Amino acid sequence: MTSNSRTILICSGKGGVGKTTLTANLGIALAQRGSSTVVLDADFGLRNLDLLLGLENRIVYTAQEVLAETCRLDQALVKHKQVPNLALLPAGNPRMLEWLKPEDMQAIASMLEQRFDYVLIDCPAGIEDGFKNAVAAAREAIVITTPEVSAVRDADRVIGLLNTHGVNPVQLVLNRVRPKMMANQEMLAVDDVTDILALPLLGLVLEDEQVIVSTNRGEPLTLNGTKSPAAKAYSNIAGRLQGEDIPLLDPSKERSGLRATVRRLMQTKIF
Amino acid sequence: MALTQETLQAACHRLVLPTNRHIPWQDTLEDQLNGLEGKDLELDSGEWLLNGRVLSALQAQLEERSCRLLSIKSCNPLTVVSANALGIPAQLTTPQLANSLPSDPEEQRAPALLIHRATLRSGDHLKARHHVLLIGDVNPGAQISAGGNVLIWGRLRGFAHAGVEGDLNARITALQLRPLQLRIADLVARGPEEKPQPGLAEEARIVDGVISIEPADPRSGLPMQELSADSNNQEH
Repeated sequence: MTSNSRTILICSGKGGVGKTTLTANLGIALAQRGSSTVVLDADFGLRNLDLLLGLENRIVYTAQEVLAETCRLDQALVKHKQVPNLALLPAGNPRMLEWLKPEDMQAIASMLEQRFDYVLIDCPAGIEDGFKNAVAAAREAIVITTPEVSAVRDADRVIGLLNTHGVNPVQLVLNRVRPKMMANQEMLAVDDVTDILALPLLGLVLEDEQVIVSTNRGEPLTLNGTKSPAAKAYSNIAGRLQGEDIPLLDPSKERSGLRATVRRLMQTKIF
Repeated sequence: MALTQETLQAACHRLVLPTNRHIPWQDTLEDQLNGLEGKDLELDSGEWLLNGRVLSALQAQLEERSCRLLSIKSCNPLTVVSANALGIPAQLTTPQLANSLPSDPEEQRAPALLIHRATLRSGDHLKARHHVLLIGDVNPGAQISAGGNVLIWGRLRGFAHAGVEGDLNARITALQLRPLQLRIADLVARGPEEKPQPGLAEEARIVDGVISIEPADPRSGLPMQELSADSNNQEH
């Protein structure tokens, strides 16, 4: 039973910018740091948080059965084998979208809040019903975006909606940063993004091929012990979320020379 | 406060929230809704700030009585923004001051200067009847429009429209003017491609039939004498 549980919505507006990856990795990182954490898949239509965590084959009950009271909450929670502090509450079937109301999400969230330190909600893309349901349950939010105009525009819209729903604080994670392109001014700079969105930056995640590898293996980066830059970024985000003072990475100082490339290749796990 | 229900049209009923801010409107709502089952409602929320969460709760409450919320009138710009965010048509009105005599109803309806303190984010649209002063940024994808001048104490990166009703003397002024598109009266201009020089407030106005951007003239901007009478009434 935790009294100061934190319910955090992870959203972006645009699809494919890294919400689910962030949710999975942040969940693992927080759990590894000793906080009991639950990740809740609010993307009922296109669920895949279970895939990323490698828990797909262990799902028996879902949030749908919990709401219908045909099973107890602890029957539906799927514990992660390697990180026992982390649990997943799977999304029900896509038809759930048709009847799920914001109150249902609130009910689920408040059940989870009584048992976990952190409740991370993986929000669906878009700003329609799925988003409205998810937002109703959240106290605070992390908006994730990439340095692209369209993603930043959508993030801005979402931040406006979060504000009207009284979600506070809202923090920003900038994903898929490519230092080389930023240096050549081929990509929006970090300042350009924070300038428009006017949010505190919680973390910068570099573009990293390891993310794709780990997604396909169902093994979040923060779990499998690689020293990849993205894994480090995710665990730094978890640290900052818990109030630690970790300096932000400076993309312009990222090494891009031959030695760094070779080192990165050596750390790449192929199998 | 006395509850007001008046029939505007045969089908649409008007629901006015109490103007006394010391009594929560939720307390009287049930009474006000009595006998309105199944009707279409227009809500006048006065100065109350109804955020998205409150509005959706209200919608649900109305649905229980099978009422439909068709539109909202409010003096609070934030309420209007939240209502629009929920897809309810909303209109910003002027506060009805209890002790002021509306000598000229046309003049009384909207403040001469609407002051709004917020960042307009993508999808937001702030409309003012006369002049508007925004303290904050207009982000890409957001819109601001006014019957008079548009003044932005911040960065303009979205759309701005001054002189909506055709005032060719209207101006758009911003600390940093980098709009996607500017409109003054019926004229339309795309924003400048090159970056503006930093630290220079700029203003757009019509010169010889085209919109041109120049460093802001400190003597133009707001017609102060027009405002002095009204400025005491503004609380934002």
